[in-house]
Amino acid sequence: MTIAAAKRRLPVSERLRRSLSNGRVTAALVLLPPALILFSLFVMLPLGESAYYSFFNWNGYGTPTEFVGLENFERIAGHSIFHTAVGNTLKIVAVSLFLQMPLALLLALLIHRKTPTNAVFRLIFFLPYILAEVAAGLIWSFVFDGNYGITASIAGFFGAESFFILADREWAFAAVMTVIVWKYFGFHMMIYIAALQSVPEDQIEAARIEGARRLQIVRYVQIPHIKPAIVVSAFFAIIGALQVFDVIIPLTNGGPSNQTHTIVTYLYTFGLTRLNIGFGSAVGVILFIAAITVALFYQRIFMRGKQA
Amino acid sequence: MSEVQLQNITKSFGAMTVIPNLNLTVPDGSFTVLVGPSGCGKSTLLRIISGLEMPSSGDVLIGGQDVTLEEPSKRGISMVFQSYALYPHMTVAQNIDFGLRLARMPAAEREARVAEAARILALEDYLDRKPGQLSGGQRQRVAIGRSIVRHPKVFLFDEPLSNLDAALRTQMRVELAQLHQSLDATMIYVTHDQVEAMTLADQIVVMNAGRIEQVGAPMELYDRPQTEFVAGFIGSPKMNLLPGSAIGQEEVKTVGIRPEHIAVTGEGGDWPAVAQVVETLGADTVVYAKAERIGDVTVRLPGNIRLKAGERLSLTPERANLHLFGHDGRRMEVVQ
Ligand SMILES: Nc1ncnc2c1ncn2[C@@H]1O[C@H](COP(=O)(O)OP(=O)(O)OP(=O)(O)O)[C@@H](O)[C@H]1O
Ligand SMILES: [Mg+2]
Repeated sequence: MTIAAAKRRLPVSERLRRSLSNGRVTAALVLLPPALILFSLFVMLPLGESAYYSFFNWNGYGTPTEFVGLENFERIAGHSIFHTAVGNTLKIVAVSLFLQMPLALLLALLIHRKTPTNAVFRLIFFLPYILAEVAAGLIWSFVFDGNYGITASIAGFFGAESFFILADREWAFAAVMTVIVWKYFGFHMMIYIAALQSVPEDQIEAARIEGARRLQIVRYVQIPHIKPAIVVSAFFAIIGALQVFDVIIPLTNGGPSNQTHTIVTYLYTFGLTRLNIGFGSAVGVILFIAAITVALFYQRIFMRGKQA
Repeated sequence: MSEVQLQNITKSFGAMTVIPNLNLTVPDGSFTVLVGPSGCGKSTLLRIISGLEMPSSGDVLIGGQDVTLEEPSKRGISMVFQSYALYPHMTVAQNIDFGLRLARMPAAEREARVAEAARILALEDYLDRKPGQLSGGQRQRVAIGRSIVRHPKVFLFDEPLSNLDAALRTQMRVELAQLHQSLDATMIYVTHDQVEAMTLADQIVVMNAGRIEQVGAPMELYDRPQTEFVAGFIGSPKMNLLPGSAIGQEEVKTVGIRPEHIAVTGEGGDWPAVAQVVETLGADTVVYAKAERIGDVTVRLPGNIRLKAGERLSLTPERANLHLFGHDGRRMEVVQ
């Protein structure tokens, strides 16, 4: 009979007595309530509240009285701008995963070694991430300005007619995504740099002796080593993409003709600024469910089996 | 033909010169062991031979060919690291044939080579495991396996056994010796361990501060150390290094006498002394004694001798086994 089996057969009262005497239950009783109270107060309650509001037609003043059932959700589902917003959010996810992350990885591979020059580059590449989102949006709105911005100068240099990219229905969102990549690649780069610095040097040297060239070392030694970091950074990329908001407001404010909304700017524009709190809450509920689903599936698929 | 020659090698890191000027020939098929105190440049020298490090000046020749500017993988060498440097995400088999896969060797030949290495190193049952699921000794064998399958001309080892416990180290030592015999390759081996050096080597290179103190067969170094440094470095317990006055020769700076070459009598010997510490090791008894006007003297006696700390002794060195060193630290030939 194994010890584990013996343990399992203990009566409940005995188990309770033991955990009481070894202080675990006491510790849980003392330490858990503050966290639980804070969590319910600031996370669960607002969530529950907005789930509740989502069933009302409510402008935010007074108490919600006009119960409308699932009508808010039906309106969202039929709203073409919401479809565009979801499509845009998915585009950001795709660009983050397939453009931003490879770019960040490439730069990390180039500058992960600890040298003074690399430290300077690291700082430069990390600066956009430190910058406030709104400030980044404003800066780029000047860059993209067709009258005074850099795009105007470039167009002028080539003798072409200046263009207003942020006002262009086709290209405005591409410009927005450029800014998003610019803003956040440094974050992913830093994750990779930290991971790359922990790859044992002698494994790289062993690979050199075995005849591996630079790219083969990247592929067979370094990337397998930093795979957990890549998995985590992809998770941040997806969750972050679902929440993009602050960069867009100063850049396009969702325009032109509502072509550059994300789910969150959609919520803000059609829920908050138009005083449709019930409607906005419904969008929030949808976003929350999407994020939770991603998080759960992601953990199931990528973040398990670490013990092997 | 895989002789390794180092010609006028120097190596500096920034302003610090680690190897001032070094010449060494490692004969084809030999088992050459580099020993020396920590920081004396053993690993640096090995890395220069492997090509992981460039010498600041001088030439590296392997099998008569100048490989100074050659990539590590083109030198016909393999290296076993102290930390094993196995790839944690690959199985044992994948670790072993990594280099062969890079070289695009046909699968059939690859498998044959892996199977052969696994047989030699008794790794057959572990080929599908990851390194994380192996013991230290097994990991070390995988690292050796990885270096065998490439059929290198020269094997380089940097303290490969230092992470193993004493029993396993002894076992692996024997296996390495057998491996050297069966492969008939040149091996260059860095170690701190006296016993490894003495038992494995057919040539020992004693280094000190980036210089070679002496090159020779183990017993040659033991019996006729050419410098005071080698005398103190080779042998355990250490050779006693006493002032020349101990034997009444003032022109001798240091006189060396190994602990086993001192006779102990109750009285009437050359050096009256008091036993300070007595270590009974079973086969031997090692006595650390304090001799009047001479200093600390270590004596090695047969295991059946019983002595107690504080006991008065009289020590007599065997005249024929004295090693005399002059003021330049070099050996003086004894004129009897
Ligand atoms: N990359 C490097 N940069 C600067 N100094 C170095 C470098 N590698 C080695 N050194 C210096 O060179 C000297 C010799 O180092 P080395 O590693 O060859 O010693 P070692 O004989 O192998 O020592 P140990 O027995 O402790 O392994 C040391 O003083 C070390 O500090
Ligand atoms: Mg070393």
